[in-house]
Amino acid sequence: MLNRRTALKGLAAGVGAAFGTSMLPGLAGAAKSTGGGPKRIIFFLQNQGFDPKTCVPAGMTSSGSLAKAVLPEPISPLEPFKDRLHIVNGLHGTHTSPSHSAFFGALGGYRGGDGVPPSASTIDYELSKELPETLLPHLCIGMDSIENMTTKPTVANLSASGAGQPIFMYSDPNQLYQTLYGGISTGAIRQQHEARSSVMTQIEQLAAAKGEALPTADGQRYGQYVQGFRDVNGLRDRLDTVSDHLRKFAPKVDDRYTNPEFETDWHDCLLDLGISSLTSGITNTLTIGSGRGEIFGAWKGLGVEQQGHNLGHMKQPDNPIWIKIRQYNSRMLVRMMETLESVPEGSGTMMDNTLIVYTSNNADSQHTSGANWPVMLLGNCGGIFKTGCFTQMDTKRPINALYTTLLNVAGRNVDDFNMTEQLAKKFDSGSGPLREVLA
Amino acid sequence: MVRVKLALLVTFLLASSTSAAEPYVPGGPVEAEYETFAKTFLVKHCADCHGETEPEGNLSLVDLGPVDEVNSGTWKAVWAQVTLKEMPPEDADQPDVVERLRFSDWVVGELTRVMADRGGFHAHRDPDKGNFVDHALLFGPLPEGVKLVPTSSPARLWRVTREEHVTRLNELINTEPAYDPAKPGLRTRGDVVPTNHGGELKIYFGTDRIIKWQGGTVAYATSVKSLPAILSSARDHGLENYPDFYTVNSAEATQIMGAAGDLIRYMAYGPLSIANPEQITDDPNTYKMVGDIRGLPTALVYSTKVTRPMTPVYDLFAEEGVTEERLRAAVDHLFEALTFRPPSKEESDAYLAICRQSVEKLGKEDGAVLGLSAVFLDRDALFRPELAKNGTPDEHGRVMLQDWELGLAVNHALSYVQPDETLRKAVLDGRMRTREDVRREVERMLADDGIRKPRLLQFFRDFFDYDLGGYICKDSVALAKTGASNRGQSHYRAMFDATASTDRLIELVLEKDQDVLRELLTTRQVVATNTDRTYFGTKRSPEEKKAAQAEQRKRDAEAAAKAAAELAAIEAEIAELEATVKADGPDAKAAERTLGRKKKELANAKKRVDQAKRRRRGGPNLDVAPADLDGPKIYARVSRRSFGNGSMKPDRILATAPENRLGILTHPSWLVSHSDAMDNHAIHRGKWIRERLLGGGIPDVPITVDAMLPDEPQNTLRERMRVTREEYCWSCHQKMDPLGLPFEMFNHAGIHRTTELGKPVDTSGEIIGSGDPALDGPVESAVEMIEKLAESQRVEQVFVRHAFRFWMGRNETIHDGPVLREAWHAYRDNGGSMDALFVSLLTSDAFLYRRVEGATKVTAAPRP
Repeated sequence: MLNRRTALKGLAAGVGAAFGTSMLPGLAGAAKSTGGGPKRIIFFLQNQGFDPKTCVPAGMTSSGSLAKAVLPEPISPLEPFKDRLHIVNGLHGTHTSPSHSAFFGALGGYRGGDGVPPSASTIDYELSKELPETLLPHLCIGMDSIENMTTKPTVANLSASGAGQPIFMYSDPNQLYQTLYGGISTGAIRQQHEARSSVMTQIEQLAAAKGEALPTADGQRYGQYVQGFRDVNGLRDRLDTVSDHLRKFAPKVDDRYTNPEFETDWHDCLLDLGISSLTSGITNTLTIGSGRGEIFGAWKGLGVEQQGHNLGHMKQPDNPIWIKIRQYNSRMLVRMMETLESVPEGSGTMMDNTLIVYTSNNADSQHTSGANWPVMLLGNCGGIFKTGCFTQMDTKRPINALYTTLLNVAGRNVDDFNMTEQLAKKFDSGSGPLREVLA
Repeated sequence: MVRVKLALLVTFLLASSTSAAEPYVPGGPVEAEYETFAKTFLVKHCADCHGETEPEGNLSLVDLGPVDEVNSGTWKAVWAQVTLKEMPPEDADQPDVVERLRFSDWVVGELTRVMADRGGFHAHRDPDKGNFVDHALLFGPLPEGVKLVPTSSPARLWRVTREEHVTRLNELINTEPAYDPAKPGLRTRGDVVPTNHGGELKIYFGTDRIIKWQGGTVAYATSVKSLPAILSSARDHGLENYPDFYTVNSAEATQIMGAAGDLIRYMAYGPLSIANPEQITDDPNTYKMVGDIRGLPTALVYSTKVTRPMTPVYDLFAEEGVTEERLRAAVDHLFEALTFRPPSKEESDAYLAICRQSVEKLGKEDGAVLGLSAVFLDRDALFRPELAKNGTPDEHGRVMLQDWELGLAVNHALSYVQPDETLRKAVLDGRMRTREDVRREVERMLADDGIRKPRLLQFFRDFFDYDLGGYICKDSVALAKTGASNRGQSHYRAMFDATASTDRLIELVLEKDQDVLRELLTTRQVVATNTDRTYFGTKRSPEEKKAAQAEQRKRDAEAAAKAAAELAAIEAEIAELEATVKADGPDAKAAERTLGRKKKELANAKKRVDQAKRRRRGGPNLDVAPADLDGPKIYARVSRRSFGNGSMKPDRILATAPENRLGILTHPSWLVSHSDAMDNHAIHRGKWIRERLLGGGIPDVPITVDAMLPDEPQNTLRERMRVTREEYCWSCHQKMDPLGLPFEMFNHAGIHRTTELGKPVDTSGEIIGSGDPALDGPVESAVEMIEKLAESQRVEQVFVRHAFRFWMGRNETIHDGPVLREAWHAYRDNGGSMDALFVSLLTSDAFLYRRVEGATKVTAAPRP
């Protein structure tokens, strides 16, 4: 129950600052090979729902190739990339209570709700443990209005490491930069980094001093507490020692960090940091919550004056506001793909070993039963996933089935994810991975 | 052939074994080898059935061999079966008491040794396994050949519980109201921070100052700043073991560090740390919310009234510059607020140095926040030490806790907030060193209602497990069939309300402090909300529903006819008045005035008719015959405003439950907590009765068992549970199923029912092998079973065992028998007084004395 393994699992649940303990090799050559399957994964959840009409090409009512189809305007930036795109329509999440957001249930595949704590771990956390080990197993970033991101820079709504164990999202790019790149920073960020490093080192020493002469059993248990600080400080030290490597990938800090004109400036900075954490090999799992899993959020930088709840009450198809937001998302997806494609890995590029899962924490709309939960997958991971196609499912299989598929592909052979046999009888017409998404 | 070999071996081993001349002291290390000791036992007692050929349960113990990593699972199962006296089977020769105890101790010792580097062996310390100690050994006569030693508990660190931690942090930024004897149910300072509308444990910032917000409930919940609980807990059924099973991992430590910054800034600046200056005003109209800003922190208006505690942390930030005096005062204040004791000179100096350095590097604002954050991660802010380093061992090698360790142990047994001034002074004056000191403080605290006792309530939550109903995810269709509403979150909200109601009911029983357990099991009182009229109601059969519908239609028609007649009468009057006005012209001023009044009256009447129509369309819930609940108004403790106007409300009534309910086990809070998505969970309910009331133990489900009931919607749960009656399953299930099935008189929303799938519901059950022959026998319903159990001395004793486990932070051993018996007598001799039981436990050797054994030095690793 209390051992090194569980201690390390606990680490992965950190404030985005989940501090793993892998050594430099995991970082220097980016991810290590595991002989197939994804080496990294990105979850991108836009709030307020993902209407299938904004992603399924007009006239496509059944599964088929996207080769001759034209992508709808909201996701048109993905047109040049549709050979690596798989649009999946017709999964469901009725058991997750997604109206007004399923919160942790969106990635957990269980009932969620406002104020409802996670009842189990979420898929991103579980995958982070299966993918090739990195310094920081899991990073979560959350995009919101500038007021929310400054006043509440960390919230936890989407990811969890277990029942009642939420994982916080980073929303202040300055804090995140300090955590990832404090060692190569300058100016105020550098000062913060050094001061924080000094305090954390002294906390470790104080904690260790109070562990002297404890009874044996407590010594082991308390030792894990002290070890936690060693890991935190160790990660910082290791990041500092590979600063030359990180410098190649770290984004440049500019005025957008300290004086953002719009919230989208910080969204862009956060995305840059997220991408760099993958390209530098710091992490293998990135979760992006656009709207932070709630029903608000703002995109004034796109010329969208309305914010928050009203956006969810609007119909998304043919809505200029939602076209702007979805296109912005799509451009972010393109940026991720292009950047990952620019980094060599093995005989190909990082993108060859990366899967992006794009969906919403609200299924298809803000007020929804979750009967349909559209998803876009980007990347084929060495030919494991089908791409360049549209798949229409029969709304009989839950999002849990997709998550089961991802776990299997990552190397954990399971028949289900967060779904008891009893619930599966009611909510899942099949079992095991989704054959429809595998090549 | 194998049998022959085993038989020869038995003969040899029996001949070579020596009878123990010395009395056996259980629980200690058993210096013996597998070949000469454990194998002897297995051969003598197990080999007949678990030999090589067609072994029972497909388990052969012939080649089991000494305990190792590979066979540890099997050895654990052997340990459980032998310790629980499941094996050897009843009809076989039984090992004597000492033989069984020695074997059990040997297996635990070996598993502990072998698994030390592989995660350890902890099962025997799991509170769920506390009943593995035979009840008769604790409350019966001491068997011959067994010797007891004076008891004590190990020196240890308790990880702070998540409720304790959240309440501790909440104290930093929120001033909860003082206890008001006139409204004893309202949440006050010292009560635990309750879970919010969705069941999440959170600290809220400044909600007591919010006087206006834009938007509805969800917008409010998003706008306000809150901080979820960080420390982990299993959030499952049963007692927890914080001294053995919990620590703080680095992810939690990192999050605490982040939260510390937010808390310190709020301590310093109040709402200004989370809002703009113009949002803080007593005239909300002066703050213009432009456009739709729902869900933003700027969509809130805070009053100017300072409500948070004003502390040296505030003084530090309020004053220009930084003085050592101010900085140290802030450090010392925070240290005591977080660890509940003043810092030593060394501790104060160490944190002061950290703060000074941070201020030098970052300036006052950021530096002081960062430096002070370190205090939140002090060992004693997250763990409570009981190391007994300063005492002198007695003749048995035990050291009595004293001073702060003893004072905080007593405080922790009842409270989540700092010791009150009297206890603090007692510690500082050296008057927390004796058993009498403890008795004095405990009796004083128990007598003072102003000292809130959330830990006492937590014991009852852990013991009864009535607080999980809101977390059981219900299938929407299955929920609708129970008669409860399946709209939105209403059922889950009702369950969180039900938990708060049951909390309050327990407090009322504790106030009287008479026959506490029996009262909790058999009380007819119920603390209820309006919604509980449904949950405490009875599900109507299809025929009854049809009749209710007809009755409702009749009532609706009568109401509609009455309304139509009323409208017609007014309309007639108006027509008459209009005619008068027309006829009299300018002379009809009085009639004109009346006409105007009548027209308004008509408009209002029409509005009322429309409203009544709308209400009828929604209609009353005819699936359930509501319970007739009425009584005086009281309060239950609920969260701070977490969901705007939809936040939980404290208002309740104290009513009398219908005849078909008897005590907490028949309340929806308990019933739903022991249900699943689709149905009742008769096995869980039976397991609860077996373990918590009868003191029995159930071995873990063998991993080879596919523990699933068939999916047969046409059959009742009882019918589907036929699979558990197969021989292999029944040996365990007979201890649970017949105890859980009487609760079939309620459906899985906790609503009473008389029929199931169109037939009269079968509520029969049986108490089998309880350990008290007077209890054993069939029962017709849960009510009859509860009445029997409530009269049992054994049930009382088992309750005392659980209280021991909770407050000692460990499972009882045979050496705790005298403590348990004394505690039970204290309870019984004082008319079933929880206070008497509590005082007895807290003045026992098990609570007061620590055994200091081998020490480990924890050191920081060299810097890489």
